[in-house]
Amino acid sequence: MRTRLLWRGIYLAAVVIFLLFTLGPVLWCLIISITPEAEMFRSGVGLIPAHATLENYARLLGMNSRESTNFMEALSNSLITAGATILIGLPIAVAAGYALARVKVRGGRILLIAMLLTMPVPILATIIPLYALYATIGLLDNHFALAAVYVSSTLPLVTLIITNHFRSFPDEIEQAALMDGAGRVRLFFDVVLPVSYPIVLSAALVMFLWAWGQYMIPLILASSRATKPLSVMVAEFSSKEFFLYGMTAAAGILAMLAPAVFAVVFRRYLISGLTEGGVE
Amino acid sequence: MPPDAYRESHVKKVERTGYLLLAPAALVMSALVLYPIVFTFVYSLQDYRLIYPDKRAFVGLENYARVLADPMFWNAFANTLLVTVIVLLLGLTSSLVVASILSVPTRFNGLLTAVAIIPWALPPVVNGLLWKFVFYPGYGLLNKLLIGAGVVEGPIQWFGGRLGTLLVIALVVAWRLAPFGAIVLLASMQSIPRDVYEAATTDGASRLQAFWDITRPLLAPSIAVVASYLVVNSLFTFDEVIALVGNRALTSTLALYNYNQAFTFLNLGTGGATAYLVMLGTGIAGFAYVRSMVGKAG
Amino acid sequence: MKNTMWRTGLVVALVSLLAFAVVGCSTSAEEPAQTESQEITVMLPEWGVPTDAMLQEFQDESGVKANVEVVAWDDIRNKISVAAAGGQAAADVVEVDWSWVGEFNNADWLEPLTVTSEDTADIPSISSFTVDGKVLGIPYANDFRVGYYNTDIYGKAGLTEPITFAEAKDQSAAIKQKGLLQYPSTMPLTAGEGTTTGLLWLTFLRDGKVFNDDNTLSKDNVLTSLRYMDSLVKDGLINPANITQKDIDTYRQLSSGEAAFMVGPTYFVGLVENPDESKVVGQIKTIVPPGGDSKAKQTMSLTEGVGILKASENKEAAQKFVDWYTSAATQKQLYTDVDILPTRTSVLTELVNSGQIKNADALIETAKLIKSPFPNGVPAYYSEMSPAIYNAINQMASGSLTPEQAFDEMNAKVTELAKSASQ
Repeated sequence: MRTRLLWRGIYLAAVVIFLLFTLGPVLWCLIISITPEAEMFRSGVGLIPAHATLENYARLLGMNSRESTNFMEALSNSLITAGATILIGLPIAVAAGYALARVKVRGGRILLIAMLLTMPVPILATIIPLYALYATIGLLDNHFALAAVYVSSTLPLVTLIITNHFRSFPDEIEQAALMDGAGRVRLFFDVVLPVSYPIVLSAALVMFLWAWGQYMIPLILASSRATKPLSVMVAEFSSKEFFLYGMTAAAGILAMLAPAVFAVVFRRYLISGLTEGGVE
Repeated sequence: MPPDAYRESHVKKVERTGYLLLAPAALVMSALVLYPIVFTFVYSLQDYRLIYPDKRAFVGLENYARVLADPMFWNAFANTLLVTVIVLLLGLTSSLVVASILSVPTRFNGLLTAVAIIPWALPPVVNGLLWKFVFYPGYGLLNKLLIGAGVVEGPIQWFGGRLGTLLVIALVVAWRLAPFGAIVLLASMQSIPRDVYEAATTDGASRLQAFWDITRPLLAPSIAVVASYLVVNSLFTFDEVIALVGNRALTSTLALYNYNQAFTFLNLGTGGATAYLVMLGTGIAGFAYVRSMVGKAG
Repeated sequence: MKNTMWRTGLVVALVSLLAFAVVGCSTSAEEPAQTESQEITVMLPEWGVPTDAMLQEFQDESGVKANVEVVAWDDIRNKISVAAAGGQAAADVVEVDWSWVGEFNNADWLEPLTVTSEDTADIPSISSFTVDGKVLGIPYANDFRVGYYNTDIYGKAGLTEPITFAEAKDQSAAIKQKGLLQYPSTMPLTAGEGTTTGLLWLTFLRDGKVFNDDNTLSKDNVLTSLRYMDSLVKDGLINPANITQKDIDTYRQLSSGEAAFMVGPTYFVGLVENPDESKVVGQIKTIVPPGGDSKAKQTMSLTEGVGILKASENKEAAQKFVDWYTSAATQKQLYTDVDILPTRTSVLTELVNSGQIKNADALIETAKLIKSPFPNGVPAYYSEMSPAIYNAINQMASGSLTPEQAFDEMNAKVTELAKSASQ
């Protein structure tokens, strides 16, 4: 009984510390976003501004300001590009993962290793030639071409997770279905894919979160108004001798909303997905 | 058709299908990763300074020698190494603690998991900014709290020294990377059958001992995955450093050094060479990463 | 069995084809025929963007549609250089900072502009954008160093407007001693561009000479400045937080009432009078900055301009935009609508006379003192030189280098760069 109480105490303490540590900075960012600039630059111990203002949010979300138009455009660009990353990347990763796990191909293992070895390749090593390539074939400022670059960076991790999943998928089910005369393609779509949705969805989440946070790649490849994502826009409130802290904080808070919602919705699948995906 | 011949042609067909399935992945990787890094290698062998376009020429390994002889490179290397080690320690510990918290089934579990994911959802640029507000000298959150609580009298200069600064940078990076680790470890923990625990605890083993004897060995492969993830990602620490202390030589990282060569000094030769040196370095970390991951992929 | 295998392959091939088709289609859809060419891209930082109404007016007037691409100031240079390395124009018209002129000229990225002699006379800072007789950019946002002091605090301490830097330091010490402020003086000490320019203007305002004719540092003058900065830190007259704070935040100590004296950017003239941003409305006086033994005889301009990229395919339309954007009428409107301080003396004078720029007698007077601290124009290696300078100062302020060591460190790099460039 005593130890039980002790464990409960430890658990609660851990939860409180965890919440403080995780949400503390985010809440502080929220406070900054509603603090007027004049109040911000005063040393003092007050945390809550005397005159809180929602002006920064109004400027970002209001109907008629240039900032709000830009913000909405950037938000939709981020969503489109992250969506396109999933759209392009997921089929490729599923196909590759299935082939690596189920169809024994010579060189498959080497391909996987080669892919994984590209994970530490810094973006600085690829961005200049990539720009030249995209410029030549006219793919600059294009959501889907940008997404293709994101795919190339997430593909190794995602393919690995999916490969591991298909490996752990019981062979007997497939064999039984094949005996019944089901074709391989039908089998894949009717039997294999339906039970694999958790892993596929969690792969989608990994891709989405990765795409959402990118800065350098979209800055160089797609910084026009029509394609510029939120992460790049957030940085624009700081400049040579200029820094709008309130605006940056407000935009930062808003920028984390969409992925947070996405993460919450897919939380369940993510966890069961990774369990099956054999990162175990 | 004799069975052997059928088998052979079947195998060939299967292989062909396999190649078709792998083709898109191979195509994407070679067009968008392989192709550019080959170019960068060529740059790294040239005197390729954008501000001296007439001097562009092949110089062999000169850029590599130049970078390796630069004390600032080694300074950045040492800083990166330190940050990586701290991120590894902090990241692993916090991943494990958070995963343990989340594995306790309570009513708030869903909410807690959602909270745990938030740092993962932050773009690094925003992450740097967020923590800048926390550690800001004068009116940062931490100073306000400490002064308010009477712990210190004047604001603490968090970024005064090199070690302190690197420590803060590592903390911030670990904060962003830990959620991935926590989720991976949580998934692992949940795959451990409950009856194993129950058997252990009814045996009289304490919970800590149960963790040490049962959970830890089962988690080992996932821990390796998380560790490599932390290492590879902390090697790229860039946005957070810029946001927290700017382009300061003292606390520069390899990614920052590389950025300065290629973008600030517009020297694509030394920039490319630095990138390749970093890749070589990370290749060692990457090798452990790949081994731990492909090990399971067989 | 055989068939299904083929079908699997087919499906996958189709899926990937689809993905690439989507990419392909969207390209052709998003790229309208560029031959119309009366559409140009203009890359500017957030604060340089004209209002939509102004852009519309320009389009009606000239038939050129200007698409403004907003890019963070730091990143504009990155975009221009990556694009140039790929043989492309990042945009038709781009922001050109005074500090980029040397390297952009060396790299041959900018198209020489045609400027009338009236324009040259009206925009004195155009000289910073002129290399070998070629005008590579036209300044649109004025910024030069002026002095500011808090009359309220100076009054309480019984002090008057500082004439020399030595006097300014003594005044700060007096204010501190009287317990009026903890850190009465402010200037950037962070590892950033503002700190390099800090050293440059401090030396230039006081001695009029920062560099020797061969582009190496003028040892006596620079060392005097370093010792001055070091003593401000050592005597506790400047906030140690400035070592890691962004330069803008060090200046903001003036508007938050925590510092009483600074030499800083011109836009603080307006900022300190804005109650949303300033705690000291009505207390700050703008002055001609201090100098060596009298008031400064010259000041440094840190203007931003616009230029046209050589790789642009719409140079004519781009030139129309540049002409419009830097015209007197547009400058006047840019000031009223988006707070950009005009670079034309005529517009500046008009705005001051009509009372639209307040607190500004010193502004006009100081504007007449603008000169370049670089005897041979901004060097091409400025971007490599600047980090060497600000890092040495930053380390000195942190206490790990003496002023002499800091000088030796930056001098070694500057000399090396100057020598290798002249070869």
